[in-house]
Amino acid sequence: MSGPLASAIDAAGPVLLAAGEEAKVHLTSQTRILAAILAVAFMVMILDLIRRNRLQERYSVVWFVAGLGMLAGAAFPGLLELVADVMGVRDTNVALFSLILLLLLGLALNFSVIMSRQAAQITRLAQERALEQARRQSERDGNDGGAGSAAAAQSSRS
Amino acid sequence: MRALVFIPAWNEEASVTEVIDDVREHIPDADLLVVDDGSTDATAARAREAGALVASLPFNQGLGAALQTGYLFALREGYQCCAHLDADGQHPASEVRRLLDEVAADRADLVIGSRYHARGGPAAGDDYQPTISRRIGTNVFRFFLTLATRQRFTDTTSGMRAANRRVMGLFSENYSPDFAEIESLQLAVRQGLRVEEVPVRMLERAGGSSFLTPLRSSFFIFKGLVVLLVGMFRPRQVEVER
Repeated sequence: MSGPLASAIDAAGPVLLAAGEEAKVHLTSQTRILAAILAVAFMVMILDLIRRNRLQERYSVVWFVAGLGMLAGAAFPGLLELVADVMGVRDTNVALFSLILLLLLGLALNFSVIMSRQAAQITRLAQERALEQARRQSERDGNDGGAGSAAAAQSSRS
Repeated sequence: MRALVFIPAWNEEASVTEVIDDVREHIPDADLLVVDDGSTDATAARAREAGALVASLPFNQGLGAALQTGYLFALREGYQCCAHLDADGQHPASEVRRLLDEVAADRADLVIGSRYHARGGPAAGDDYQPTISRRIGTNVFRFFLTLATRQRFTDTTSGMRAANRRVMGLFSENYSPDFAEIESLQLAVRQGLRVEEVPVRMLERAGGSSFLTPLRSSFFIFKGLVVLLVGMFRPRQVEVER
């Protein structure tokens, strides 16, 4: 999934090797602490949004999982390094960024899908309302407007 | 045979009365519905005054949704056939009558009123003069739609059509709100429906101006091509007997 990315990083590898002693770039403990704090704050925010009915539970799951993932990454950096290894990326940070980027892309697409569905639902709702209005008008007018319900109009007259 | 003529209208207060009177005169036996697509002017009131039924969408939903509303009404109220025409006065009701007759005679499931002759040039004695950008768009769509459906169409974006209950059933469920005209043709052909074009006479717009500027029409064409491409990979639903 990150073929070109990995090869670009491979190309940059010698520079990194020349610059530092280590082949791998790890997360510093500073980053980890910051990430952990952010993750906890994020999850508290999600919970608060649900509590105040600003966010529906079914849309919160994915965010909560994201928060947990962040926390896990901060607590067990070995996990991130494993992921970076699997991706063939030397720099753990780069692996992290590209993963998050991909996740966000997927989320954005997910929202577009939800939005499309809701747009279709809104349209249908509007149509139903419009049709109901026309039907009521045709009953009120009798058959004057050439209503769709000639039978109904006649029965209301008799 | 019970027929419904419906007119999608968005801010067409200047011409809607005229169009309704025209339909009344030439298709007196049909019921008349104006689908008011969230107009902010007096379109709905004018249509009611003229004696038409009015279905008002609470907000502007686009031509596709408005047309679908008409098909839905026709389907639910049990009409055998329906037709629609634009509210701006481009479409003479006498021509719509001919389309309806085609459907009533069961020569086709869906009939499109084409402002061009089968050869592709404008009809002789036509009052309709297309702009350059429209002519380009027409040709692009014509080419790709023919490619996608393997059936020749000359006027792909025509808003003057007549249809029977098969088409009502199809369009009331599957109708793109974004790109109604082209996609619906492709959809109908793919479902095995008999789609036919009939050359008709069209007029210049009575009021208002076309929404097509060069930039908009390029975007329009691009969007149309994407829709066509996607449409080619859409699953066929129920195969309809030819």
